Amino acid sequence: MITRIVSNNFEIPDSHTMDVALSNGRYSSLKPVFEKEPQELIDIIKASGLRGKGGGGAAAGNKWQIVSDWEGTKYVVVNADESEPGTFKDRRILSLDPHLLIEGIIATCYAVGSNTSYIYVRGEYEEFSDILQDSIDEAYEKNFLGVGAQYRVDITIHRGAGAYICGEKSALLESLEGNRGHPRLKPHSPKPEFYFNEPTLVNNVETIASVPFILENGAEAYRAYGTEKSPGTMLFGISGNITKPGIYEVEFGVSMLEYIEKVGGGVKNGKKLKAVIPGGASTPILPFEMLKEARLDYENLRDLGSALGTGGMIVMDEDASMVKALKNLLRFYHHESCGQCTPCREGTSWSDKILDRFVAKRATMEDLEMLRSVSKTMNGKTICVFAPAASGVIDGFLKHFESEFLECIV
Amino acid sequence: MKIIIDDRAVECEEGALLIEVMLKNSIEIPHFCYQEDLGADGNCRMCMVDIKGMKRPQIACNTFVSENLEVSTISENITEVKRSILELELLNHPVDCAICDQAGECKLQDYYMDFGLYDSHLTTAKTKKGKHIDLGSNVMLDQERCVLCTRCTRFTSNITKTGELGIIGRGDSARVGIAPGRELNNPYAMNVVELCPVGALTSKDFRFKQRVWFLDSTKSICHGCSRGCNIHVDYNETKYSDEKIHRFRARRNNKINQSFLCDYGRLSYTELNESFNGEVSHVKDLADLLKEDKKLALVSPSMSLQQLQAIKSFCKNNAIELFSLAYIDDSFGDEWLRTNDMSANFAGVKELEINYDEGKFNSSLQDAHVVINFDHKYLKNMDLNNKRVVHFATSHVDSDYELIFAIADFAHDSGTIINCDGIRQDFYATKYESSNPRLVDILEELR
Repeated sequence: MITRIVSNNFEIPDSHTMDVALSNGRYSSLKPVFEKEPQELIDIIKASGLRGKGGGGAAAGNKWQIVSDWEGTKYVVVNADESEPGTFKDRRILSLDPHLLIEGIIATCYAVGSNTSYIYVRGEYEEFSDILQDSIDEAYEKNFLGVGAQYRVDITIHRGAGAYICGEKSALLESLEGNRGHPRLKPHSPKPEFYFNEPTLVNNVETIASVPFILENGAEAYRAYGTEKSPGTMLFGISGNITKPGIYEVEFGVSMLEYIEKVGGGVKNGKKLKAVIPGGASTPILPFEMLKEARLDYENLRDLGSALGTGGMIVMDEDASMVKALKNLLRFYHHESCGQCTPCREGTSWSDKILDRFVAKRATMEDLEMLRSVSKTMNGKTICVFAPAASGVIDGFLKHFESEFLECIV
Repeated sequence: MKIIIDDRAVECEEGALLIEVMLKNSIEIPHFCYQEDLGADGNCRMCMVDIKGMKRPQIACNTFVSENLEVSTISENITEVKRSILELELLNHPVDCAICDQAGECKLQDYYMDFGLYDSHLTTAKTKKGKHIDLGSNVMLDQERCVLCTRCTRFTSNITKTGELGIIGRGDSARVGIAPGRELNNPYAMNVVELCPVGALTSKDFRFKQRVWFLDSTKSICHGCSRGCNIHVDYNETKYSDEKIHRFRARRNNKINQSFLCDYGRLSYTELNESFNGEVSHVKDLADLLKEDKKLALVSPSMSLQQLQAIKSFCKNNAIELFSLAYIDDSFGDEWLRTNDMSANFAGVKELEINYDEGKFNSSLQDAHVVINFDHKYLKNMDLNNKRVVHFATSHVDSDYELIFAIADFAHDSGTIINCDGIRQDFYATKYESSNPRLVDILEELR
C-alpha cells in the first residue's frame, strides 16, 4: 500500500548528507530540467495535476504560471512553518531528505524565473533547520547553488518566531518582510503573492519535494498514482490512539479505514474507533459511521463535510471525550489567533472560555446556543481562513457528538 | 455609472471603493478601521454588506464597485451579522461610559444604539488589559476600551513614519502598545486621540474636564502658523463661570490638513482662554494721542483681512505709517503641515500691500513719537523708551503702556485669512459674545 515517491530515501541512513543523497538519485532531475524551457516545465506541472500539499490543495501549476507571467524580480518561498496540530510530514523531508527539497527549489526557481528562495521554517524546528542548513551549505560547495551553479539560485533559511498564523502564506510573507505576521486582504483577481511588492511563489515543502519526480519522469508517471482530480501521492500522517503512529506515503484515493488498519496498525490496544480528524486539527471531525465511505482524496472528504487538509489524521478511540477534545482544540485556536479580525480575536477566546464550562460540567443551554452563534459569526467573516476553520471544528463536534455536550449541561 | 444600494440608485465612478461611495452619499455604514486618510485595513469587519450574487457578506472597505452592483446594508441577514460582530467588539469592553471622555462621540455607543440593543451574553470573566497608560504627548491609553482598529498604529507607521505604536500580543491579548523606553513624542502625536473611534486613546489635556454633549462647536481656522488648518473650536459656558474653550479638533479639508492638526496648533486654544482682565483705556484718550505727529503702527500678521483693511484705512486717515512683520521661526516648519511662517495671514498682509520691510520699520521706529501696536507679539522685545505706546491686545499684557485696549480674539471675531498657499478661508465667532469689543468697532468709533 505504501508508495514511495517523496519518501523513497527516508529509510536510507544518512540520507541527508550530500554523498548519500547523490548516490541515491538526488539532483538527477536537474539535467533534464535545464534542457527544457521554463514554460515547458510549468506545462508539465500543470499536466501532472500537482496540488498544493500545505492544506488548501490548489493547483500548483496555475500558481507557477501566474508568478512566471508577472513582471518583476521573482521569489520562491517555501512554507516550512508546519504547525497544524496532527501534522508532522514536512519535518521528515527537512530532516531525512533535505536535498530533495533543495533540488525541487532549484527546478522551481528555474521554471518561474527566480534566483532567490527563502525557506520559512517553523521556529520550533531548530534541529531540522540546522540539518537543512548543513545540506544547503553542502549544495553550495557542490555548486548546485550559488554563483558556480548552472542556474544561479540562492537559498536562505528564515526561522519563524512560533506563530501558527505565519503558515498562512500572506502572513508568512509579512513576517518574512519583518512585520507582524498578519494575513493580508485577499486580492480580487488572480495575482501572485508579493514579497516586498515583487511577485512571489509560496509553496509547501512537500509540494516542492514532489517536483523533481514529476519533472524527471513526466506528468503521466505522476498521474499513474491517485485519482483523476487528486493525482499522485501524499505523506499522510497518523497519530492519536493508533498502534503505529507515523508518516506513510500512499497514493490519493485509498480508503481511510484501510489506511488506519493496514498502515497504522489499527486502533491502539484493540479499542473501537470512535472518530477521526482527517487532515490536521482544522478539518472537521468525522465519526466512525462516516468513515466507511471515507477515502483519502480532496473530493471525497469534502463531500463528507470535512477536508483532506494536510493529511495528518488524528485517531480517537471509544474512550476519548469529545468535550475535552474540543476544549483542547479551542485552546489552540484561542492561543494562535493573530488578533487582527474582530470575529476571530474575540470569537476564539470566547468559545474557548465557554468550553471551560462544559468541561467543568456547569454549562447551560444558553452556553450551547452561544457556542453555536459564536461559531456562526466566525465563519466567513474574516480576512483569512483561521476563524472559519475554528468554526468548522466547533460545528463538526456539535453536529456529530451533540449528546456528549448535552451531558455537560446542568 | 450607477450602482444600487438598498434599492436606491447611486451615481459613482467605476472602481471606486464601496465604503467611500456610501459615506459620500450619506449612507450609514458602521466602521472602525477604515478612515479616509488612513485607508482600509479590513480588520474590524463592521462594514459588512450583502452583495447580490455573492454567497458571503463582504466588507465595503475592500469592495470596488462595478456596473449594476447591488448592495444591501439593511437586510435581515446583514443586520444580524453586524449585530453579532458588534457583540464581539463589545464583549471584553469595560463599558465604563460613565467615566469615559469619549462617551457621546463614541462609535461603539452609536452602533450599539443603532443595531445592538442586546443584553450581554458573557458568562465568563472579561479579559483584563492595561489601563491609564501614559504614552507621552498628552496621550493616555486604556487597552480594555480598544477595538484594535489600528488607526493609531497606522498613523504613526504610515503618516508620521515615526512608528512609536504597535500591536503587542496575539488573539484576545492583542493590544496597542509602545516599545519599552520609547515615548509617543512626534509633533503630531495627539491626532491619535482624534483618530481613535472609541475611548482607548484620550487626551490628557481634555480628559475629565468636560462632557462632550455640553460642548458647542464653531468652524474656525487654526492661527498657529500660515498653513491655515481647518478646525472646530469646542467651547461652552457653564453656570457661574465664563465661556471656556476646551479644545480644537481637526476639521476635514482635503486641500490643506485632511483631518489632522499638529499638537502645537491643537493646544494653541489655551491662549484664547487667557482673557484680558486689566484696566482698559478710553477711546477718547486715543483720539487725543492721534494729534501727535510721527506716528507708527505695527499690525500682527495674524489679523484677519477685515481687521487689516480697517487698520489700513484708519492709518491712512490719521497719517500713521503702517507696518507688519511676519512671525518667522526656522525651527518650527516641517515637510507636512507646519510652516516656518507662524503668522496666520501674512499672505493677507501682502495682498493689502501693507509694508513689511523690516529695515524700513526699524528706521521709522527710531523716529516715531507714537507707536500703535495692533497685537503684534514682537513689540514687547523692542526698545520703546521715550515713545508713547498704544496697545491693542487680544490677551492679557503686563506693561506700562500709555494706552491699552482689549480686543476680541479670533474665536470671537469672525473674519477671513489667506494661507501660505493662497487659499482664502473664513472663520467664525463662537455664539457667546466676547467681553472685549471687536477691533473694527473701536476703529469705527474713532472715525
